Amino acid sequence: MVIAAVAMFDTRKGALPDIAGGAPGGLSGGFYPFWSAAVLLVFGALVALRSLTTPQAATGVFKDRQSVTSVLTLAVPMVVAVALIPYLGFYLMTSLYMGFFAAVLGRYKWYWVLAIAVLFPLVIYAIFELGFRVALPKSIFYDLVRF
Amino acid sequence: MLEVLGDLAGGFGVALQPTNLLMLLVGVLLGLIIGVLPGLGGTSGVAILLPVSVLIAGSGAGGATTAIIFLAGIYWGALFGGVITSILFNIPGEPWAVALLFDGYPLAKRKGRPGLALSSSFVSSFVGALLATILLTFFARALAFEAIKFGPAELFAVFILSFTTLVGLGSEAPLKSVMMIALGLLLAAIGFDSITGEPRLTFGHIELLSGIGFVPVTIGLFGIGEVLASAEEQGIGFVERMNAKVGLRDIREAFGALRKRLGMVIPISIIGFLFGVLPGHGATAGSFLGYGLARQYSKNKEDFGKGEISGIMAPQAAADSAAVGSLVPMIALGIPGSPTSAVMMAGLFIWGLQPGPLLFIEHKDFVWGLIASIYLGHLLTFLICLAAVPLLAMIMRTPYAIITPFIVVISIIGSYSLNNSMLDVFVTIGFGLVGYWLRKLKYPLAPLVVALVLGDSTERELRKGLIASGGDPSTFVTSTVGGLPLSALMLFLSVLLVLLPVIRSMRSRRRAAGDDVPH
Repeated sequence: MVIAAVAMFDTRKGALPDIAGGAPGGLSGGFYPFWSAAVLLVFGALVALRSLTTPQAATGVFKDRQSVTSVLTLAVPMVVAVALIPYLGFYLMTSLYMGFFAAVLGRYKWYWVLAIAVLFPLVIYAIFELGFRVALPKSIFYDLVRF
Repeated sequence: MLEVLGDLAGGFGVALQPTNLLMLLVGVLLGLIIGVLPGLGGTSGVAILLPVSVLIAGSGAGGATTAIIFLAGIYWGALFGGVITSILFNIPGEPWAVALLFDGYPLAKRKGRPGLALSSSFVSSFVGALLATILLTFFARALAFEAIKFGPAELFAVFILSFTTLVGLGSEAPLKSVMMIALGLLLAAIGFDSITGEPRLTFGHIELLSGIGFVPVTIGLFGIGEVLASAEEQGIGFVERMNAKVGLRDIREAFGALRKRLGMVIPISIIGFLFGVLPGHGATAGSFLGYGLARQYSKNKEDFGKGEISGIMAPQAAADSAAVGSLVPMIALGIPGSPTSAVMMAGLFIWGLQPGPLLFIEHKDFVWGLIASIYLGHLLTFLICLAAVPLLAMIMRTPYAIITPFIVVISIIGSYSLNNSMLDVFVTIGFGLVGYWLRKLKYPLAPLVVALVLGDSTERELRKGLIASGGDPSTFVTSTVGGLPLSALMLFLSVLLVLLPVIRSMRSRRRAAGDDVPH
């Protein structure tokens, strides 16, 4: 509902048809997003009203503490990995990210962790960089290590 | 009729030449690989390999025919390949495979039938494409001339109908479905207004001027969102224990399921084909329409979203038939029926051909060779996919500690490679978290994606209609095609669909009130 309210505020100038003002077809650019946001706001309010007036299950959003930990174990490294791409580049990030999961979650032996951390970025490089000519982001050490 | 069959026989003579057959096989294999990789779609695959097609076209007489057969092979391969990641990993390899997520993945994962889910999709793909190719063979020119008569009013009504099917059919909460559609339309409006050029909802950020692409959003909502949801449901360290043994039994079962659903698959393929013929639309919109229609007319509406085979066969048959249909306006009128056919059409210009009705007269070999190659290409793709099903399903035995980060990495590549933009990656991760939360709160994700995909086109047709009528909105009900008020009919049907949940809710309330009355 907050998103809808912000969008409506931003596009409020185009809310009404404007034939005299010379907008093509009588609609300016704000009309469509304004009314999409208005529908979102109204139906958001209806959903909120219904959830307030309907008896809800007593259980919380999460089953237990374990389920929160499981989600965070995946979500936090993922967000950190993406945040590091502008600095480490895609290949270094992939190496660290895949190696981290192999070591922490998989508890593989060190040589398997190393193999995963090296082979995955190499295969991705061969397919995308060489095969399909998709240049993925490089690290700030590009001048030294070329990836 | 006989003339068409004669021309088609000539086309097979061209398509079956060893060079053409070889390039068709290469195209199909490349298409399958491209289709499996999320984000790197058929359109970008065809675009990337366009320079190769120029080399092929310049290799000698008949080079242009070989080149178009090669590019079309990529398209067909990508159509089949896109379903694989959708069904096995809940990541759409292609935009047109998004509708497959709704039932393909539940059948593969929750019901433990990945082989059946894949086989069902391949079988329906093949049937849809075969029917569409037969239609293309006989009615190509006539159909294109009919579709070109559709004005903005009719196209706008088609889109509204697509949205209302999602609201009216739902076993899910219709209020939440409308919310998700509105959110999708709002997100689609971000960026430059295509009519006036004014920036909207960008809040001064240059990166947002080009808008939010639906592929990064979809990869986030479904790919990343599912990874997080399964971590919560199954716990981390969970290893996918899906039965990956598939074989003739699955294929036989898929054919059996198809036989029972021919009454649904055939009309949906025809509708998908007709939808594909409409300029500017292709397999993606067709697949959503197919899914919506199958659900609307199914007796087992409540099974949709839980691994219903009709929910796999309908969008896939419609997507393939729409993709074939999208070639009709390209070859007959020089108007691309889909983004992929637009890239292929660019190829025609580069090779020195002028797309349009004259192609049928001046370059008969080219047109009929292409049409014959569509039959062969689909047969080839179908056989390769069936043979590879056990190999594909084996992917599911990969340990969790490898497959989970791999899905995240592939999702990042998929969203980045679209526009070489880190913003798309952030969008994917952001929508992954949002998608996980929406899923938890039981909001349907499909309406959001459908609205995001079709939002731009819907607005464009609305405003084009109003511009043409000088701002008079009655054009959407008074517009006719060949004397038929198609737009009004479709809008009327849309209103009925929106009213359906209201009527359903009133009925169930009345029934509940009736039960409370003491006898």
